[in-house]
Amino acid sequence: MAIPSESDSSTGTRVPHRLWELLHFTPRARRKLVRGALVTIIFLAFNGVLAVLFGVTILNYTIAGLSVSSIVIVAAIGLTLVYGMRGFANFAYGDIMSLGAYVALLVNINGLSLIWGAILSFVVLALVGILLELIVFSRLEGRGAVPPIVASVGVGLIIQNGIRTIATTTPWIYRVEAIQEIPIVPGLGVHPIRHILTPAVGLLFVLVTHILLTYTNLGKAMRATADNFELAKATGIDTKRVTYATWAVSCAFASTAGILLGLYGLLKPTMGFEVLLLIFAAVIVGGIGSPWGAVLGGLVIGLSQEMSAPVFAWLAGPDVIGLVNASAYKVAIPFIVMIAVLILRPWGIAGRAPAFTGRVFFIERIAKALGRRRKPTGPLEDESGG
Amino acid sequence: MRTRAEAERLAIDTGILVNLGFYVSISIIFAILALGFNLQWGYTGLFNAGIAGFFLIGAYTAAIAITPPTPPSTGYPGHLGGFQLPLAVGALLAMAMSGLAAALVALPTVRLRADYLAIATLAFAEVVRTVAINLEPVTAGTIGIVGIPHILNFSGPNAAFLNTATDVGVGAAILVGLFLGLHFIVESPWGRVLRAVREDEEATMAVGKNTFRYKLQVFAIGGALMGLAGWLFALTLLYIEPSGSFAPAITFSVWVMVIVGGAGNLRGAIAGAFVIYGLEWLSVQLKDAAPDFLKDSIPYIRLMIVGVLLIILIIYRPQGILREKKRVLR
Amino acid sequence: MEHREILRVGRVRKAFGGISAVDDCSLSVSPQSVTGLIGPNGAGKSTLFNLVAGLYQPDEGEIWFNETRIDGRPPFEIVHLGLTKTWQIPHELRNMTVLENLVLAAKHNAGEHLLNLFVRPGQVHRDEKMWRARAREILKLTQLDALANEHAKGLSGGQKKLLELARALMTDPTLVLLDEPVAGVNPTLAANLMDLIEKLRQAGRTFFLIEHDMNVVMNRCDRVIVMHQGRTIADGTPASVKANPLVIDSYLGG
Repeated sequence: MAIPSESDSSTGTRVPHRLWELLHFTPRARRKLVRGALVTIIFLAFNGVLAVLFGVTILNYTIAGLSVSSIVIVAAIGLTLVYGMRGFANFAYGDIMSLGAYVALLVNINGLSLIWGAILSFVVLALVGILLELIVFSRLEGRGAVPPIVASVGVGLIIQNGIRTIATTTPWIYRVEAIQEIPIVPGLGVHPIRHILTPAVGLLFVLVTHILLTYTNLGKAMRATADNFELAKATGIDTKRVTYATWAVSCAFASTAGILLGLYGLLKPTMGFEVLLLIFAAVIVGGIGSPWGAVLGGLVIGLSQEMSAPVFAWLAGPDVIGLVNASAYKVAIPFIVMIAVLILRPWGIAGRAPAFTGRVFFIERIAKALGRRRKPTGPLEDESGG
Repeated sequence: MRTRAEAERLAIDTGILVNLGFYVSISIIFAILALGFNLQWGYTGLFNAGIAGFFLIGAYTAAIAITPPTPPSTGYPGHLGGFQLPLAVGALLAMAMSGLAAALVALPTVRLRADYLAIATLAFAEVVRTVAINLEPVTAGTIGIVGIPHILNFSGPNAAFLNTATDVGVGAAILVGLFLGLHFIVESPWGRVLRAVREDEEATMAVGKNTFRYKLQVFAIGGALMGLAGWLFALTLLYIEPSGSFAPAITFSVWVMVIVGGAGNLRGAIAGAFVIYGLEWLSVQLKDAAPDFLKDSIPYIRLMIVGVLLIILIIYRPQGILREKKRVLR
Repeated sequence: MEHREILRVGRVRKAFGGISAVDDCSLSVSPQSVTGLIGPNGAGKSTLFNLVAGLYQPDEGEIWFNETRIDGRPPFEIVHLGLTKTWQIPHELRNMTVLENLVLAAKHNAGEHLLNLFVRPGQVHRDEKMWRARAREILKLTQLDALANEHAKGLSGGQKKLLELARALMTDPTLVLLDEPVAGVNPTLAANLMDLIEKLRQAGRTFFLIEHDMNVVMNRCDRVIVMHQGRTIADGTPASVKANPLVIDSYLGG
């Protein structure tokens, strides 16, 4: 006898006919909205305080953080979809991003606008995703977590070195018009591509994902399959088709993220691999398998990395510790965040605590020492798909 | 005395020998890395994706400990060092630092799933590499530490050959010693617990074993071995730099070696190292014979082959080419 | 608080994602008894066993074993205190021999500590010899001695169940939790197994077993505890439990 849950209304089983149904939030969704609004307000207030204390130019870092977050979010959504469905970490994902960037480059340097490059790359990479599943990963079903990781490393090696062979290791740049930063106040400016286009694309992809997963049949099938593969198959969902579709979406998203990354700087064969760990960090922090988790994780990772840069810059000062190459260390911050999450809450922000938490003695002992009582979990807190 | 022709012939012979000796030395270093990884993954099921990081820590610790003082010069930032400690002390320090790092990394991560462990260890290796590249006062940045002394200092016409011979000799002795030592401990009751953990950790916990402690020990020992490989590497190459030698590709190569040789198979790990590094060494030798348009791409093509190997092996022959010995307890 | 009982479960609760598998469950087991735990599917019996054995941690409540509090302790500590659990689906170590499976379960084997291998090799050797001998004794007791050098994966279902019991005995337990010890085992073997359990009980051990086979429960258990929907609904002699209307309801109502 199952305890009745309140999850039904928010799994989007009916397309809302009237607008008020859209706004008819469940208590759980209301809770999440309030929490989200609270965090946003705190964040804005924090930035306000920083601006007052250090001058408006400090906000450059926040803006950079939002920009980096956007790229990470698009990539993380793609990664988490396959990770949640197949249960394995795709170590080739960074190189797939690179591939997307280079395919667009191919179009771009032959005279066409980058937009066309992006579209073609999107389609090509979707096909690549399907091929990867067909040729490699479908043969590793049921073999555990390690074999697909090894295979994905192999795929990554092939892609990255294929790029090196064909496009050489010399960095390339996209042929786009040189655009100047738009100054807001002296010292604080927004770059139309990096700080406006990129977040806009990020937002677009988040919305597209939400619509796909909540309102389309394919999306609902994807969520069901990711949640419980056997059950989905038993209820008649064509899990093969869903698997291929998920791979296609995943790699297509990777291509866009790769192009955004290319717009951010240069195109090198290692460009994707360099951010792979950032993407993993975002997925882990946010909760594996949860696209909304990917959004949250992406924000945390991108903002924490960029907003730590001024701290390191301060450390570089001769009167502090004179840290050399200080700005390079900001990349360590997301990893520290990830390790902290792995220690304290391995299933991430939006993830569900697994039934058998494998005896996290360390943390439970600390929690007990701090006198925290473990609350019984409430009615189904199903976070998948948000 | 010697005719000119004889002298030339001698030089060519030793040239080839030096080259081969280099191949053997590096293969031995990879073999040690592979043995360490094999202990962690092949025997205990801990999938370490940060091999390069522990390798780096060992190499830099050894280099910092052993190298004589480097006088400041233009273009070279200098590094922490000048202690000129004896080689053996350098080895112990390298193992200690890497082992300690491995223990610290293991503490929060060994209880996690294999994929989490892989991501966390890969992240660790990349952070370590970033630090090595950027912490110039300690590591001399991207240039790296140079001027590492030979194991034994020879001079004269055959110096190169004799140095190489020493490297090979010392390396081989260490490898044999490690093999015997590892064989001893994995065949012991302690090793039996490891195999049980790899097979079914829950069941092993349920018969009263503190599996966390075993995983921690294994990870630390594996890390220490990788540190030892780093020490040997520093002494063989005489310089170390962070970008190429400690990149993730090294970790992936070691994976191939252990997978080829068969997880849980000590001899296999060593054989795998010699075979896979042999491919790399051959590709370098054949570079001059390649057509021009391919020449620069040889290293990339080799890595693509490694990638293909990984995929084919893991799909079709994950147990490796050599099989784990069937054990019977009497 | 009663401490005559060898095991005391006090108001334990364990929920998974909002559904309580075990809910305000309290029970106790008397020393040197053969106590049965029955209940319809989904009643929470296996979950309770996992909680007692330390594989899960209760959200609320306490678990006491021999006047020592054990909830919150890791499984290996609990085994060392003298409480061992077997698995419903046997967790044999497939690629090890039957003998190795058993010797692994020895609680104090010098050779399992890395340092001892180098500094006390004599002790390592002696311990190993001793434990191998003990393992052979237990194998004889459970009639598995002929299979000592077989790899565990080659065993039949019933033999794997016997191996589970043998391995549990190897840990020298005071209390053994048996999760369906005779399920899927042929009647003769089942009878032998229960005879063995009776013999061991008389030698001083306590057995707490989950079983669906009513023959076993009625004829072999001194006391039967019934769980339903995560809590205890009946507790008494087999006869009294059999006639208990609540119990009958629970099996019919599901």
